[in-house]
Amino acid sequence: MTAPDRTPSATPVRGREPSGLREPPRPDEPGLDGLDDRELELLLGAIYHIYHHDFRSYAGASLRRRIGAALIHFKCQAIAQLHERVVREPVVFAELLRFLTVQVSDMFRDPTYFRALRDHVVPYLQTYAALKVWVAGCATGEEAYSLAILLHEAGLLDRTQLYATDIHPESLRAAHDGIYATERVARWSDNYRMAGGRASLSDYYSAAYGGAVFDRRLRKAIAFADHSLATDSAFGEMQLVSCRNVLIYFERPLQDRAIGVLRESLCHRGFLGLGLKETLRFTAAAPAFTELVPDARIYQKL
Amino acid sequence: MTPTAATPEPRSRAWLPTPSLAVLVAAILAVCVIAWLSYRALKARAEAADAVNHTNAVQDALHRYLSSAKDAETGQRGFLLTGDEHYLEPYHLAIGALAAEADSIRQLTADNPAQQRRLEMLAPIVTFKLDELARTIAHKRRGDGDAALQIVRDDSGKLAMDKIRQTVEEMLAGEQMLLTFRTQQWEATVTWSSYVMLGSGLVLLAMICMIAVLASRDFRAVTAEDWSRRVQLALTSQLQGDVRLETIGEKVLGVLADNLGARVGAVYAVEPNAALRRVAGHALAASGEPGATVAPGEGLTGQAVKSQRTLHLRALPAHYLEISSAAGRSSPRELVIAPGVVDGAVQSVTEVGFLHALDATELTLLERASQTIARAIRGARDRNRLEDLLGEVQRQAEELAAQQEELRVSNEELEQQAHALQASQTQLENQQAELEQTNVQLEEQARSLARQRDELARASAELQRANTVKSQFLANMSHELRTPLNSSLILAKLLSDNRDGNLTAEQIRFAQTIYAAGNDLLTLINDILDLSKIEAGMLDVRPERVVLARLGDELTRTFQPVAAHKGLALAIRIDPTAPAHLETDPARLSQILKNLLSNAFKFTERGGVTLELSAADGRVRFAVRDTGIGIAHDQHHLIFEAFRQADGASNRKFGGTGLGLSISRDLARLLGGELTIASAPGKGSTFTLALPGTPAVIAPPRAPLAVADELAPARPVAPPPTDDRDALDATSRSLLIIEDDPAFARVLCDLAHELEFKALVATTAEDGLALARRHPPSAVVLDVGLPDRSGLAVLDSLKRDATTRHIPVHVVSGSDYARSALEMGAVGYALKPVDRDQLIDAIKHLESKFTQELRRVLIVEDDAVLRQSTARLLAGDDVETTTAASAEQALTLLNTTTFDCMVLDLALPGRSGLELLEDMASGDQYGFPPVIVYTGRSLSPGEIRELERFSRSIIIKGARSPERLLDEVTLFLHQVESRLPPERQRMLRDARDREAVFDGRRVLVVEDDVRNVFALSSVLEPRGARVEIARNGREALDHLRHKPGVDLVLMDIMMPEMDGLEATRELRKDPQFARLPIIALTAKAMSDDRDKCLAAGANDYIAKPLDVDKLLSLARIWIRA
Repeated sequence: MTAPDRTPSATPVRGREPSGLREPPRPDEPGLDGLDDRELELLLGAIYHIYHHDFRSYAGASLRRRIGAALIHFKCQAIAQLHERVVREPVVFAELLRFLTVQVSDMFRDPTYFRALRDHVVPYLQTYAALKVWVAGCATGEEAYSLAILLHEAGLLDRTQLYATDIHPESLRAAHDGIYATERVARWSDNYRMAGGRASLSDYYSAAYGGAVFDRRLRKAIAFADHSLATDSAFGEMQLVSCRNVLIYFERPLQDRAIGVLRESLCHRGFLGLGLKETLRFTAAAPAFTELVPDARIYQKL
Repeated sequence: MTPTAATPEPRSRAWLPTPSLAVLVAAILAVCVIAWLSYRALKARAEAADAVNHTNAVQDALHRYLSSAKDAETGQRGFLLTGDEHYLEPYHLAIGALAAEADSIRQLTADNPAQQRRLEMLAPIVTFKLDELARTIAHKRRGDGDAALQIVRDDSGKLAMDKIRQTVEEMLAGEQMLLTFRTQQWEATVTWSSYVMLGSGLVLLAMICMIAVLASRDFRAVTAEDWSRRVQLALTSQLQGDVRLETIGEKVLGVLADNLGARVGAVYAVEPNAALRRVAGHALAASGEPGATVAPGEGLTGQAVKSQRTLHLRALPAHYLEISSAAGRSSPRELVIAPGVVDGAVQSVTEVGFLHALDATELTLLERASQTIARAIRGARDRNRLEDLLGEVQRQAEELAAQQEELRVSNEELEQQAHALQASQTQLENQQAELEQTNVQLEEQARSLARQRDELARASAELQRANTVKSQFLANMSHELRTPLNSSLILAKLLSDNRDGNLTAEQIRFAQTIYAAGNDLLTLINDILDLSKIEAGMLDVRPERVVLARLGDELTRTFQPVAAHKGLALAIRIDPTAPAHLETDPARLSQILKNLLSNAFKFTERGGVTLELSAADGRVRFAVRDTGIGIAHDQHHLIFEAFRQADGASNRKFGGTGLGLSISRDLARLLGGELTIASAPGKGSTFTLALPGTPAVIAPPRAPLAVADELAPARPVAPPPTDDRDALDATSRSLLIIEDDPAFARVLCDLAHELEFKALVATTAEDGLALARRHPPSAVVLDVGLPDRSGLAVLDSLKRDATTRHIPVHVVSGSDYARSALEMGAVGYALKPVDRDQLIDAIKHLESKFTQELRRVLIVEDDAVLRQSTARLLAGDDVETTTAASAEQALTLLNTTTFDCMVLDLALPGRSGLELLEDMASGDQYGFPPVIVYTGRSLSPGEIRELERFSRSIIIKGARSPERLLDEVTLFLHQVESRLPPERQRMLRDARDREAVFDGRRVLVVEDDVRNVFALSSVLEPRGARVEIARNGREALDHLRHKPGVDLVLMDIMMPEMDGLEATRELRKDPQFARLPIIALTAKAMSDDRDKCLAAGANDYIAKPLDVDKLLSLARIWIRA
């Protein structure tokens, strides 16, 4: 055990939980939680002011868990310590970003979603002369490549500009490289078939040295870029925006903001795809959309 | 333990008890037997009756047969007698009946062979008889009565008739016999069956009796059971609920008295000490009051307890137990003492007396009742105990509640304290936040201070340089001034001499004035020159042995005339403490002393000037004392400043440049001594020069380093204190700084830290090389001008050594060696003086080099076109390609450069690719990167085997091969990187400000409307972007071609000369601009414009009027890192 950094009387909670990982606040002990919450708030504030990454409205419980993991990783006893390092060492922040963002993705994840896109959305898309598709929160790019393959098979890729955005530069770089471990790619073949793939997934990549690199034609159609739903605004008129499993990490006000950006990014009658556990219901933007394929969470802007 | 005892008998599912069932079965069997026997008897009787009838029928048939035969004969006789046909009627009838009768008899006696046989015998006889009859009748009819009578008379007919009669008689007798036999049989049967029936009836009777007995027994048992159950139920219901020990006995005895007719009774409970305590009595005499106890084993009661068996006493002794009533007393006839046993222990004893005899049921009931009582008593006891326990628990609970209450109160207090603590904690936190804020501010201030410090240092360096320049300038200028001045002095002198005598006195005076002024000017210039020389460090010190006595003589000689002229005394005294001689520069020393002395004479009107030589603290002191005007104390420091005199006004009075004291002081310092003053106005002044006995090397700033370098070129120079060589580990990013200027090394060191490098500092070439080998750095910053060897030689050594070859080197130098440095493999070059930003750029460039150095690909291909195209195919942001046309060239390159991957064509001129591979494998001098063989010919299995020793993959050239090659190389380089330790992988980029994405980016705005240009600039420029402008498509093309490196183009569509669409199309035609991000600015209304933009090759569009946020988001996306 390391010595506490403050006198025990000042920090009655600290000693008990060296990891800094806290349970969600309980109504019967409001006072005890203030400390870490405040530290967290300070940390997020500092991150925003120094690096202009805004995590202040991310869902608290999840964020706390992830910060907890980061504390263990950086061997920090408390958020304040991490705060100090993040402020002083940009590299620490670059690494912390990995914890703050949840980089989980698979190709053709939830095949029903892609199946629904293929069956219900692609016929609409085929009527546009030029297409713009946005994958917001693309992580390491799997979904963007999946959409590119889907559009390719619908004969649309040549007239499509895909945008794939995220706030995590490392993920974007990995996404841009389009190289994935062979074992993962093998697993995705089933998803691809279940999503109604017309060929074999292996037609789209070359595998060697334990890695598989996706076809350059797919990559050429995708612009990977930094964009934050928390701070940036809409940037174009998309026919399809896929923003899956991103909103779950946001608190309601930020969700509303993000959905606002997505809505503004959509053209008239454009399509919005969300994660299977997400919904527009109860959000401020709900009246602006109709449910096109409710089970696959595909909405159409009115 | 044996489990058998405990197994209960399973519930019987039989309808009847076994004896009843046996009797019942026997009865059923008997009935069956009787029925069967009766049936047989009846059947026999019926058979006998049938036989009688049959016999009668047969006899009737036989009688009829005989009578028919008689009728036939009678009819014949009548006809014969009468001849009347009328008598033949019976005959005719009989003939018909005879056959039928015979058939009937045959059928009836079909089962009797003896009769059949007789019938057979009868038939021919009858036929004969009938034939005889027929013949007689025939004869008669013909009227031949005689013949007929003749036939009758021969008696054959009669004999036949007799025979018939006899036979029939026999048959009748046979039938009669049969009948007799059958009748006997029937009688026997009837007799037997009568016996059987009688016997069966008796058996049945017996059985019915048995069943009756059994049923009666069962009924009695059931009744008794039912009664006993009712009594028990009554007992149980009496004992139900919360019954106390004392009431149990009363209730039990009441029930027993009501139901059993007990006349007297008592109930004892067994106490813990095994004594019996009477808890209740019924109709007891006064002696038997409740509470009486019986000792264990005492009396019959005690005995019953001991044996745990019920005692039943019939013949009671008189007055053993008395029934007491108001009317009198009586004694019971029978007494039962029943101990109640629960779980093997006697709990109670019930003693009951009766006036009548008890049956077994009552006894059993008493036993059962005593168990019930025992259980009730135990239950009551348990309940009592339970109540006790409950009370205990309730008390404890109460105590707990009290404690809790206590706790709650103290908790409240604690909470209050906690609130107080929290409040103070909040306060502390606020203070901390404030502190943090202050800290941040302080850090900011510290940073700004550091910046100011750096600026100051820079300014100071600048100043120093300016000063040097100034001094140089002055030195030069003085020289330049002196030359013409000299000539004017000479000419003025010539004029004032007036050798030709053609000048007026006034003209001569003018010439003298010119000469004097010129002389003054020359002195001034010399002084300035001296001063600047000293300041510029250009004055040499030449120490020699100076004999003080001789110095004194010389000074006396020089100043005696001056003293005489001014009427002042001059005294030079040498103290005995002073050494005879001194090791110093005599010229400088005398210059100082002369200066001091001439000053002293200049400012002294009366009195005299003294020079005293003495020694103190190992130093030689020269004190020049005058009796002049003196200098106020607050002006002491001023007089040493150049061009200053104590009193500004004294300038004109005393003349002089005012430089003398400055020069003297600087010279004194140069000699390692110092010059001090002691003076007060009107009291004269004393200037004291103190010099060390031996010369110390005191030099201007630059000199000592040069000296040190010259002295000890190979001596390891102590590294600056901030060197991180001890803090290095294998994964550190380190920067080696080889720089002899400590100040500059210091600056570089700080920069390295700022950019998160560990810094290694070497001040000499040798040291630098040694460090580079010992701790291979990530990058090197190299000065060319090093004390021992040229930096270029260091660069060369670094590039020759395989272990350091890959390290990127940036060269910094005071002179321009850029070309040679770059040729030798430096990645960059900067000319000193270098400013901070340039250095940062240089180090970042190095960083990018060493983080990218993993991606260097060598292409060995002899075909020039293919070589170039392959190079272009593989080249990318992270991949640097080098090409070689032959095996030799490849080997040379491999010798000097480290490659990560090699793409090799097998068919090379001269040496084949395979030989090249073998060469590479043979020697240590070549790096051996992974090889991808890229060949146009198909390979034999042997060749493939051979190649697989060296190569990871072989690609046969073909239509799809370029793509495969590209994939292979990409994947390979990716793998190379992923295997590196994380610290060495591509640096984490963009960790800084997200807003910094526009910093230094060049954005070309192609727009003819000035207002839009202005608007775009005002959005982009504050974010650090550099906005460049083109007014139409044509200008944009020119601009992009002449100033490449634009990061983003914002292209208006509607423009004069060449519109945006055309310009975009033009740009896309040029491969150089294939990936240049272009965002089209379209008018909002024109929606088909947008498709056109995209079709023309724009990456995206944004509608005008521009939404600033949208534009920034879009630009952020397209400005690529």
